[in-house]
Amino acid sequence: MSETQQQVEDLIQSRYKAGFYTDIESDTIPAGLNEEVIAMISAKKSEPEWLLEWRLKAFHHWQTLTGPNWAKLNLPPIDFQKIHYFSSPKQKDRPQSLDEVDPKLLETFDKLGVPLHERARLAGVAVDAVFDSVSVGTTFQKELEEAGVIFCSFSEAVQNHPDLVREYLGSVVPYRDNYFACLNSAVFSDGSFVYIPEGTKCPMELSTYFRINARDTGQFERTLIIAEPGAEVSYLEGCTAPMRDENQLHAAVVELVAREKAKVKYSTVQNWYPGDENGKGGIYNFVTKRGDCREDDARISWTQVETGSAITWKYPSCVLRGDRSAGEFYSVALTHNHQQADTGTKMIHLGKNTSSKIISKGISAGKSSNSYRGLVRMAKKADSARNYTQCDSLLIGKTCGAHTFPYIESSNPTAKIEHEATTSRIGEDQLFYCQSRGLDEEEAVALIVDGFCKEVFKELPMEFAVEAKALLEISLEGAVG
Amino acid sequence: MSALIEKLLPEADVSDDGSFGALRRKAQKVLMQHGFPQRKTENWKYLPLGLLEKRTFSTAGPLTGPVPAPPEFPFETGIVHMHNGLLDPQRCRLPRGVAITGMLPSDIDASKLDDTSPADAFAWLNLARFDQGWKLRVEGRVEQPLAIVTSCDEDFEAAIHPRLKVELAEGAALTLLEVQHSEAAGLINGVLDLELAPKSSLVHLIDRSFGETALIQRTTARVSDAAEYRAFVLDGGGRLTRQDLMAELDAAGASASISGVAALGGRALVDYHTAIEHLLGRTSSRENFRILADDQAVGVFNGRIHIVPGADDSHSEMNTGNLLLSEDARINTKPELEIHAEDVTASHGATIGQLDDDARFYLRSRGLTDGQAIALLKYGFAAAVFDGMDAGALKEWMLERLEACL
Repeated sequence: MSETQQQVEDLIQSRYKAGFYTDIESDTIPAGLNEEVIAMISAKKSEPEWLLEWRLKAFHHWQTLTGPNWAKLNLPPIDFQKIHYFSSPKQKDRPQSLDEVDPKLLETFDKLGVPLHERARLAGVAVDAVFDSVSVGTTFQKELEEAGVIFCSFSEAVQNHPDLVREYLGSVVPYRDNYFACLNSAVFSDGSFVYIPEGTKCPMELSTYFRINARDTGQFERTLIIAEPGAEVSYLEGCTAPMRDENQLHAAVVELVAREKAKVKYSTVQNWYPGDENGKGGIYNFVTKRGDCREDDARISWTQVETGSAITWKYPSCVLRGDRSAGEFYSVALTHNHQQADTGTKMIHLGKNTSSKIISKGISAGKSSNSYRGLVRMAKKADSARNYTQCDSLLIGKTCGAHTFPYIESSNPTAKIEHEATTSRIGEDQLFYCQSRGLDEEEAVALIVDGFCKEVFKELPMEFAVEAKALLEISLEGAVG
Repeated sequence: MSALIEKLLPEADVSDDGSFGALRRKAQKVLMQHGFPQRKTENWKYLPLGLLEKRTFSTAGPLTGPVPAPPEFPFETGIVHMHNGLLDPQRCRLPRGVAITGMLPSDIDASKLDDTSPADAFAWLNLARFDQGWKLRVEGRVEQPLAIVTSCDEDFEAAIHPRLKVELAEGAALTLLEVQHSEAAGLINGVLDLELAPKSSLVHLIDRSFGETALIQRTTARVSDAAEYRAFVLDGGGRLTRQDLMAELDAAGASASISGVAALGGRALVDYHTAIEHLLGRTSSRENFRILADDQAVGVFNGRIHIVPGADDSHSEMNTGNLLLSEDARINTKPELEIHAEDVTASHGATIGQLDDDARFYLRSRGLTDGQAIALLKYGFAAAVFDGMDAGALKEWMLERLEACL
């Protein structure tokens, strides 16, 4: 390979650094979706009878549904029978400690910058690492246990805390909720489970890292976070996948329960493989995320930085049931090349004096399409509820699209809603100024975009904010000029 | 919704009357295939069409009794009077520069109607069932406004499908005043096409209030090079009102503005869908729509700005402000932006709230009763929509009408 060719290869690789594949022997069940497959997944996880029944109910309901077509997405038909619904790295039993985990897996997560090994203790973040359909390890479990916090894979929670799982599973996102949530309820394989007892502030940040590795598989994880009265937790989520020419499906469900005065902060840096510059390959990311401020004074905050995925369909929501409960949504969604994103939030105000804040920043480049879709609903009993929404879009290039679809519904005369949105391109005067100070065009754009997103980045935990900023710069490479 | 098809499109009723036959057949086919919108049809989700299903519509016949006189206006105006959906050219009083003729098939452009879903079902229904369409041709600058008056007999219970086209020649200018008032329990399913040739200008005023009459109206303005379309709407409410108001800016320099206020009370249900299409660059638009909902009224505003690829240097601004004045009223609003061009600016703002307590207190401290303070604040909120109207008798008349509505 010539030097120039090598440089080009390196550049392409640098745009998606997590695109490598780990060659590891895996245990994969045959492709296809039917009751047998669901029973097989359930059996592999030694699940109780009630959970299998719940999965089957979801599957039967899913068979009656048709996929959503209202989003501004050009979604090719998905052949659900061609997907493998379970794939895990081959191992006899679940490792009891990280020392027993296959070194290849540890190496993979090391390469992704995820501090799985105990030597990464200094990072001070407890991590649950999910590889294809299973959790391969969770760090700091003992330390967390001492504080009364349960942080484990979903499968472990089913075995060790069945009552909690049974009480809360599907209580925020019922299996009938929507097409993809219903599919997830039938075939979910693993995910994270977090329980913070009453009055406890989780002593460290919790994090889950999702990695799709195997070919032709889908990832269907389920995350459940329960914060008892007065509890506080900050949870981070990251995700990547290898570069492949085929599309892969990721349909996850996240349920958050915040009881009285509890605080849950959920941050995501989504970096699934977005496909190549011609739109080939990439992950279809169809996620249902919802938080329930179930009791008074609860608070749920969603922060997301979305740079990856070929198609994103995702609306992290808050149901503000308790009086004075609060919901927040901070989002940066960047699309480049042929990526498509239809993302936003829902704030459902049911309780009195509830408040919500939505800050959404969309950046479109290349031939991509980026839509904000949001709902703010003030129910009849939501006296003195308050919402503020700011929704800005930035266009880079002549062939991309930026769209805003906010639904605002009010049935309460004392509720106040304010919404504002702008769409514009990067100002020539801003670019000129930056360039006159010695920056080249790409650096200038990165700086302006960073400023555009600052309001969201400041909500991210420190390590994530640094990662998000770097990710944005990489994703924007080649967007100008 | 098949019950509604049977009510509104009895098969035998679609006449194959020569020149319009092909259009009517196509319309009937689309309707039979896709039916009427349902709650899941995105653009119709807030409008309960079940209200129409509960009604029985008689067949519209020729006028038998005397036609009531059109309302008096405090200014000189031409009149086109449609009573029970029928227009008699002999009764029209047209200002100099305006001519009326029967509509021809070539006057109808159905190419932009959606034939793949129920979204445009009522426009197809109009096409299938309109009786006699009329075209008004405007040449030169017409000084006198032209009022198109719609009225119905008190016991009128038919479904009617009036169809009108107003064509402005190059450089023409007109003030068009649509005045629509009716209490009867019929359905008016109207279509109004406005064609603005280069450098023409149309000021389009709508003053409407309905009792039990259901109105489903589709108005499309095609705006050419350097032409200007300005709409001002005053809606006093009705049991079921749906207005689609679209402006297509299809040449450089075209501009459109839509300003409106809906003052709703009782069980009014009013659903406004506006859409401004920037089809070429150097176009501009502005929208300002306000709803005041009292009693059990429901107000819906869906504003859409669409800038297509290549329509660079387009500028658009949309604002919607809403006041909820009672516990049982509801307001739903959706200001949409769909932007496919880079060198543009587009923005929107939306608020829903109530009257400001501090302002009420201030006005009472200046000697007004609470009732007077509320009335003044409501008027101030709504009247701002008409700030863009040229000063004169027409503006004064609109403001008087607004005061009466409030």
